[in-house]
Amino acid sequence: MHRYPRWPIHVALTGVSFVMLIPFYWVLKTSVTGENIFAYPPSVLPKAPHPFYYVDVWYYIPFARYFLNSVVVSALAVAANVIFNAMAGYALTRDFPAKRFVLLLFLSCMMVPFQATIIPAYLITGRLGLLDSYWGLALPQFSTIVCIFVFKASFDAVPRSLIDAARIDGLSEWRIIWRVMMPLAKGAIATNVILGFIWSWNNFLWPLIVTRSAEMQTLPLGLARFLSYQEDTTGALYAFCIMVLAPGILLFLMAQKEFIRGLTSGATKG
Amino acid sequence: MKRRTVLQAGLAGAATLTLPRASRAQAPRKLSYLTWNISDQEQLFKEEFADFRKANPGVEIEWLDKKGTELPAFFQTQLAAGTPPDVVDLQGTIWVEYAANGALLDLTPYLKKEPEVAKLFNQDYLASWQYQGKNYMLPFYIAKTLLYYNKTMFKEAGLAGPPQTFDDLLGYAQKMAKGEKTGFLTLNFDWLYWPLFKMNGIELLTPDLKKAAFNTPAAASVLERLAKATDGGAINKISWTGRWVEPNGAFAGNTVGMLHAHSSSYFFVKGQGSWINESTLGVAQAPGYWATPTNHGFGISKSTKNPDLAWAFIKHLTSTQWATRFSQSRKLLTGNIAADRAGLDYLRKDDALGAQVLQTQLEHTDRFTGNWPLPFDAQLKDAFYPEIQNAVLGRKSAKAALTDAERAVNRVVSRNS
Amino acid sequence: MATASAVAYRPPRVARRRTRQAVLVWCFLAPSLAIFLLYRIVPLLWNAVLSFTQWSPLRAMRWAGLDQYEDMLHDDVFWQALWNTLIFIASAPVAIAIALGLALLVSSDIRGRDVYRTIIFISYPLMTVAVAIIWRWLFDERVGLINYVARSLHLVDRPIQFLDSFVWALPSVIVANIWQMLGFYMIILLTGLQNIPPNLYEAAAIDGASAYRRFLRITVPLLKPSLFLCIVIGMLNSFTSFDLVYVMTGGGPGRATELLVTYIYKLGFSQTRFDYAAAVTVVFFLLLVSIAWMANRLSGGNVGAVERD
Repeated sequence: MHRYPRWPIHVALTGVSFVMLIPFYWVLKTSVTGENIFAYPPSVLPKAPHPFYYVDVWYYIPFARYFLNSVVVSALAVAANVIFNAMAGYALTRDFPAKRFVLLLFLSCMMVPFQATIIPAYLITGRLGLLDSYWGLALPQFSTIVCIFVFKASFDAVPRSLIDAARIDGLSEWRIIWRVMMPLAKGAIATNVILGFIWSWNNFLWPLIVTRSAEMQTLPLGLARFLSYQEDTTGALYAFCIMVLAPGILLFLMAQKEFIRGLTSGATKG
Repeated sequence: MKRRTVLQAGLAGAATLTLPRASRAQAPRKLSYLTWNISDQEQLFKEEFADFRKANPGVEIEWLDKKGTELPAFFQTQLAAGTPPDVVDLQGTIWVEYAANGALLDLTPYLKKEPEVAKLFNQDYLASWQYQGKNYMLPFYIAKTLLYYNKTMFKEAGLAGPPQTFDDLLGYAQKMAKGEKTGFLTLNFDWLYWPLFKMNGIELLTPDLKKAAFNTPAAASVLERLAKATDGGAINKISWTGRWVEPNGAFAGNTVGMLHAHSSSYFFVKGQGSWINESTLGVAQAPGYWATPTNHGFGISKSTKNPDLAWAFIKHLTSTQWATRFSQSRKLLTGNIAADRAGLDYLRKDDALGAQVLQTQLEHTDRFTGNWPLPFDAQLKDAFYPEIQNAVLGRKSAKAALTDAERAVNRVVSRNS
Repeated sequence: MATASAVAYRPPRVARRRTRQAVLVWCFLAPSLAIFLLYRIVPLLWNAVLSFTQWSPLRAMRWAGLDQYEDMLHDDVFWQALWNTLIFIASAPVAIAIALGLALLVSSDIRGRDVYRTIIFISYPLMTVAVAIIWRWLFDERVGLINYVARSLHLVDRPIQFLDSFVWALPSVIVANIWQMLGFYMIILLTGLQNIPPNLYEAAAIDGASAYRRFLRITVPLLKPSLFLCIVIGMLNSFTSFDLVYVMTGGGPGRATELLVTYIYKLGFSQTRFDYAAAVTVVFFLLLVSIAWMANRLSGGNVGAVERD
């Protein structure tokens, strides 16, 4: 174990944390005071904080219903993501003809902005009969290329000997993924879960286009209610944003420990 | 373990899949109604729908509300898929594109059959929804630009009343510009700044709407004066770079002498500026009485399966009874003459200044400008305004900007003919 | 089938196994490929076809050859948006370098690293609307916090124009974007750091290698896949940051912060010029693919993967 001074690290990280937190602090502060952020001079401490904006959020929109919809859609998306991405990631660690082509194909698929695909995506989903439904909401997010590559990198790092041993033991490829690779790729799974959840949870444009009925709206769509017709931002807007943020952060906290597994001290001192 | 969760999720998904479908069981007659960012009126709308259902039993009304920035994306996707909402609330001039391309139903036959409906509305405002002689929309709520002025700043600068000419306007603005204070601010989206040009006799296009007509020495001199005034602080720079919050916020900060905006600004500014009352805020028409209207109207999709029902619905929404309630609730004017009179009387009771503001919206409605019935209005805006912005912010000479704008505008017109 | 004949000689049993494995690989790729086919490839082809026509949701299609592309050559806005997009992409390595530093710091053996990690990450899941509004306020010339602090500390006499300035608007948006993305890059790099077997470090330490050498010789090479991924994500950021740019500046002032993606959206849904938007999409796509291909070559091919021993 190398001994090295810890305090410079703390100083650096505290400075960074301060910068990262300033905007967030203001979101939090305005959510409890509802003050006009365009008033001058800005006040650093909250004046007369109260939690009633959070109550407002609950009542202005059908919060419970939207929340449930978001949970179902995100759960579907994350579950499918982990399975499909792991499968694809594993396939990409094997050598097969056209591997380079597939890799480049995946890379290229990333380069298509969603804004340019709105109308065809809608028409395709309509053809599948999935408009205004949970499956329709979740389907485009069933697989994400970023996470495929994360899995691929994790799988690439698994020692070859383990895989060979498993194969000699007669395990099928499917079993190899779930019994050998996945337990060693907990970090990749955690990343996929967190990112897949955040992308699905915060997704705004697709639910806007694909839902019609009020019962199928997801949480971010409730945002419009808080951006009043005069663009006058109120405390409720910020309370809403904090409430939407909470599940993602909770998920991150729960998966935190997956990010320090396997790293010993001194191993990564930069 | 993973397999079981997948299975469970799949079953749950399949089960819930049936829920929304069931709730959308075939109602005998269904109207879908899309509005532009007006979800705060939910209570009132529910009453209106209930009332409509009394006269038309068995009708189900699906109300969709989208924010202004998302409504076009939503509406156009629905158009592309062939399932647009039956009744749609559109703002400004985007309706022309839809009308020109056959997405909106021509309402002229209905209005001809029921002339008393047309008589309910201010004819000038109603005419702003005419394209090629056909009328496509009924007024939902209306507004046009006016001039707000800071009476305190006017008094300090020794100015008596609001400016009557363009020269007055620039002169007054110059007198009030000191340090952090500026003299004049205008909104710039949707051609709201156009009266500044029109009051100097400048036209955007030739009368046949086929070519640019603004590249004249007169226009160059106006642009130069605006640029000089902006540079010197008489005109606040935010006029040209701001959207909604910045310009209105600046005026609310009590540092700007005049604001050229429409009636909605009053309520926004009042909320932010505690200094505002009848003795500190003056309300007037812009010099020459020119104003750009910015209205919301009700249209019917051409592909609707219930045109008569949709017509009855928008008649219902714009009827004097409900328009009055809407005007009182949202503090704006609806274009329905009787409703607006009642709404103004109601507002005058506790906000005399607000009533004054709304009163200006009904005066001089024969002097509308900045609204051209062209399907490619958005492209025109995007071709013209950036060059104006370049000129007033001193990045290009007025002559060069106008020449470039002329080229861009002519290109847009020729592309769309 | 192809494998069997391409190789000199394989016993039939091995050949069958190879075929079975190839089939299996494709089965594993199938679900993801299906999704991408539906929601990326087909829409891209739709755009490609559309770019050679004149069309809108309200009118029939008309063949137009290269007209749209010709319009693009003369379109000042397109070139401005392209330039802005390139600058935006070029800012990614800065963010990644910072994130790498942070990832190393929060995975070192200090107390409270969980707290630091969470704080750095918290900006990413926050709704972009809130991020955009708050940063718009932070940068505001009249009432913003940055100007308030600068003036209180007497660093400047006149307020600094950020989002109103043609020069500083784009850098300001980039700063806000980096703020939001740091957590995302950090998480990718942390996952990558995990894949490095710790015994490598121990062995190197025993051999007397300094921390700096350990970093250079072990960490960086083995992080190549994650770094490559971050670079690609950085490129994608030029359109995943759509919401941020749209709400923060709307592309303004003028076109100073107009990105290709906001231009595509406006062309489609403000100006209803889907055909022209499709042409811009195709060009944007080709641009990104070329940059990605160059990045791939520079990082050693095979999508930055580390060659196994």
